[in-house]
Amino acid sequence: MPTRWPEMIRSAVSEETALTVAIVALVVGLLFAYLAWRGTHRFLRQIGVTDTVEGTSFERTAQRFGTSTAGILALLVALFVYAVVALFALNLIQVFEADLFWSRVTNFLPRLFVALLALIAGLLVGEKAQLLFQERLQSIKLPEISIVPLLVKYSIYYIAVLIALAQLGVATDALLILLAAYAFGLIFLAGLAFRDLLTTAAAGIYILLNEPYSIGDEVRINDTRGIVQEVDMFVTYVETNGEEYIIPNREVLRSGVVRIRNQ
Amino acid sequence: MTGLGDLLDEIVVDIDAILLFSQDTSAYERFSEADPRTIVVAKQNAVDAEEFVSLPLDFTDVNGRIRFGLEGALNQGLVEEGDELVCLTQSFDDAEIDTIVRVRAGEFTPTGGYDLFANSRADADVVRDVLEVAIDLGKKGQKGKPVGALFVVGDAGKVMNKSRPLSYNPFEKSHVHVGDPIVNVMLKEFSRLDGAFVISDGGKIVSAYRYLEPAAEGVDIPKGLGARHMAGGAITRDTNAIAIVLSESDGMVRAFKAGEIVLELDPEEY
Repeated sequence: MPTRWPEMIRSAVSEETALTVAIVALVVGLLFAYLAWRGTHRFLRQIGVTDTVEGTSFERTAQRFGTSTAGILALLVALFVYAVVALFALNLIQVFEADLFWSRVTNFLPRLFVALLALIAGLLVGEKAQLLFQERLQSIKLPEISIVPLLVKYSIYYIAVLIALAQLGVATDALLILLAAYAFGLIFLAGLAFRDLLTTAAAGIYILLNEPYSIGDEVRINDTRGIVQEVDMFVTYVETNGEEYIIPNREVLRSGVVRIRNQ
Repeated sequence: MTGLGDLLDEIVVDIDAILLFSQDTSAYERFSEADPRTIVVAKQNAVDAEEFVSLPLDFTDVNGRIRFGLEGALNQGLVEEGDELVCLTQSFDDAEIDTIVRVRAGEFTPTGGYDLFANSRADADVVRDVLEVAIDLGKKGQKGKPVGALFVVGDAGKVMNKSRPLSYNPFEKSHVHVGDPIVNVMLKEFSRLDGAFVISDGGKIVSAYRYLEPAAEGVDIPKGLGARHMAGGAITRDTNAIAIVLSESDGMVRAFKAGEIVLELDPEEY
């Protein structure tokens, strides 16, 4: 408990010494804060955050104010460090007697810090995820598909805000229920919509791995007889006399395959 | 200077369309007017042009590039035979347009090069990837020595039934597709094997080491080409596949469709 230390020091030394220690602590705290600022900058560059956030709107906004994402994060860390030291010093010389108030502040400070971090991280990750999805979906020429990256972005924003609010102790139960309903709906609907595709893909994985039949084999599947032209994850192409049947792998597994070996 | 200006005016007067061999946005915006129409011929339709011909290979040779683009435009019905066209293209610089050529659509007898990409059973991307592998192989050879190779693309089921294995199939139960990064190396290694590579419509490498057994009657290929070309030409007559052959002796890449040579490329030019 950091709140206990000042009392221990105070009981050990005289009031003048306590004042001196407090001032020294403030000065040393300044140094620590500076070191933390430098360290954060270097750390962020080393793990590649500085390059990754390049071009995001948060970074651009930060640059408009003459700083950068790394700068803001480093400033936050430095402020946090200095605030802790300052609190310690103030406690030491006992500017305020209200102990309760200070203990609440010391409890609240780390939470505020984490909440801010969560918000910034959410903003950055959300935008990056949006970009990633956009790139992935670029080859799909369907205008409506653009809603997917947006949905991803705002979902991440929502979760980040939720974490931040929860850190600050705001009642988030209602928001949490909303999130749960949203996630459930997404999973449930996706499961419902992709049920056939999922079973087909599972069958397809088996067929691709074990190759019970391969391209060039003559097979009969559900009264469809022909030469296998192509097998992929979802369907098998079987061709006879210029007619190509596209059979879902689910059907192949369900009804079985007859391989015709001797014609 | 008037003589030069007059010549330029003569070249561009009374044309029906512009063939723009560039996907540069600024170039497109400069020429995109309702009259004459601008048809973009490039690798990708980066400028979202309404009239677009896809150019699957980087033709360094202007002649080949214009022929291909023209064939594509004719094939898609973007231009009609007898239309006067001006081609804006690059001869030396890769980025800047430095060449203006006036041609009449239908002036050349079509080689079927565009048809090879657009109307084959296999996807155009697969045909392009296989051609690129063949060109690459022709350029570098196997460890410096010239190699030959035969790729049969598309209609793999039928091709497999008209061929037999020479040895075990190294691609058994593998799921590599042409265009995968590792494939170029694999194909290069396997190119010293005898026989043909069989590639499916979707680009999956079905087999190597195949001995093709098509009926070779009536296949008419130029004299001087060997058994590899004959086998490649014959299989495309018997099936709906196309064959891409890299000649060991003269280093040329030739594509066969329906028993005839439709494209002939010199790997050194790409």
